[in-house]
Amino acid sequence: MSENKFENVSSVVDNYQQTDELFDEILNDSHLSATWQRYHLMGDVMRGDTSDVINLDLSSTIASAIADEPTILAPRANNNVVDKLKAKVVQFAKPFGQMAIAASAAGLMVMGVQQNSADNDVLLPETQVVKTMPFGGVAEPVSLNFQQTSRTSEKQAFIEQQRRFQALLSDHHQQVKLSSVDVNSTTEQDKAAESAK
Amino acid sequence: MKLISSLLLLVTISTSVAANENEQAEPWLERLAQSLQTLNFSTSFVVVKNNQAEPYHWFHGVDESGNELEILSLLNGPRRDVLRKHNTVSYIEPEAPPYSVSSQQIAGPIPAVLREGVTQLAKTYDFISVGRSRVLGRPAQLIRIVSKDVYRYGHWLWLDQKTGMLLKLALANRTGQLLEQIQFTHLDITDDLSESLMQLQQTALPAVIEIPDGYQEQVLQWQVKWLPEGFTRLNANRHRMSSTKKPVEFMLFNDGLVDVSVYVNQSEERQRATDYVMDGATVVLNQVINGFEVSVVGKIPAKTAKAIADSVIFTPKELP
Repeated sequence: MSENKFENVSSVVDNYQQTDELFDEILNDSHLSATWQRYHLMGDVMRGDTSDVINLDLSSTIASAIADEPTILAPRANNNVVDKLKAKVVQFAKPFGQMAIAASAAGLMVMGVQQNSADNDVLLPETQVVKTMPFGGVAEPVSLNFQQTSRTSEKQAFIEQQRRFQALLSDHHQQVKLSSVDVNSTTEQDKAAESAK
Repeated sequence: MKLISSLLLLVTISTSVAANENEQAEPWLERLAQSLQTLNFSTSFVVVKNNQAEPYHWFHGVDESGNELEILSLLNGPRRDVLRKHNTVSYIEPEAPPYSVSSQQIAGPIPAVLREGVTQLAKTYDFISVGRSRVLGRPAQLIRIVSKDVYRYGHWLWLDQKTGMLLKLALANRTGQLLEQIQFTHLDITDDLSESLMQLQQTALPAVIEIPDGYQEQVLQWQVKWLPEGFTRLNANRHRMSSTKKPVEFMLFNDGLVDVSVYVNQSEERQRATDYVMDGATVVLNQVINGFEVSVVGKIPAKTAKAIADSVIFTPKELP
């Protein structure tokens, strides 16, 4: 393999020259294709575009996985009758299904809130991104004899904290908007002063 | 063994590249500033943070008399528009009636310093040209604005090789983890003003609000004793928080690229442990010590925010 060919690959990767012959040559030569892949990987690593896990040979893994896939030889069962029956059962069962989903969704919301408030005491790692939430739709506990006051006060504290953060964030944005005025008006005054001199 | 040697090779290549192209980074940023000020462009971008995407439209142009026109609007949720005619900027937001301020900068997701030129940042940041890649279907140059100390995030900019326009912007911490990204999704550069800007020319902007003299240079009872190098104070005032109406002592600092707000106010609580959340790259940190609440907000690492909050001290001064 001559040095020249590698140089060609390098220049194609860098967008310096791109001709059909060069592409054909790279595509038809497995050694050059591998070089092409490596050059791109180097570029990605240098720019920091790679994910944490670099799977070096994805395409061949996929190819072999497809090759290993069993072929299904058995004929499809003819189950028209079952389908008809099923359709009726589904129609009948649908409303219950929706109820069940709604109930489980409510469960999730309550869980979610409790989960959040439980997590609160832990100082979050720097990289963890926490979204501040609007508090229109916080789920209330449904049960009549729900008496865990500590939990509700915890929740209150959580809501209070989120409000505080939200207020700080929006005030910060507003002050930045108003302060860009000051910077500019002073620079304009400076300019005026300079021109007066 | 093979892996190690190839890694070594990569490291040597990347360092030599950085050294070679170091001088080239600043011309790229100057070209960006030039493009942002002079081109007629109509573009869309998406701010990606907290697993959420905020889409924006952004128009910019220069009319016959050389005045700049600019529109920036958020496309999702309640209307948030920023309009600019030369040195008047109007904010149209759901929280407040529309108002204007006299400024040449739009306070938005894209740092204003990029259009002002970056020479003022050279004391605290290094500019590094990293290499080429493909962004928005165009060949792009990646430039990194890297802090010289450990107290700040880095900004990565992908610039169009043909026009010098911004194609992508990312904020990353020192380990290279992305905290917030702005990805452009469409870019049109035209000779004439776009229709939206022609309409803006005909529109009367809301009245400019007057800020009383000295309002932003008040003498405060509380002082910040430590900040990373390069931060200067833009603003010191007493005001009521826009949403909770709580009175606060407020200071705003800026290092040319990022804004940091410091709030001090009395609290009903005696002590509260330090707590913070991240909104993309923006940290909101808050603690109560001896009945006083100190909060720090800005696009800085949480450790820096904590150090700033801890440095706040009481220095009683005679009020003028």
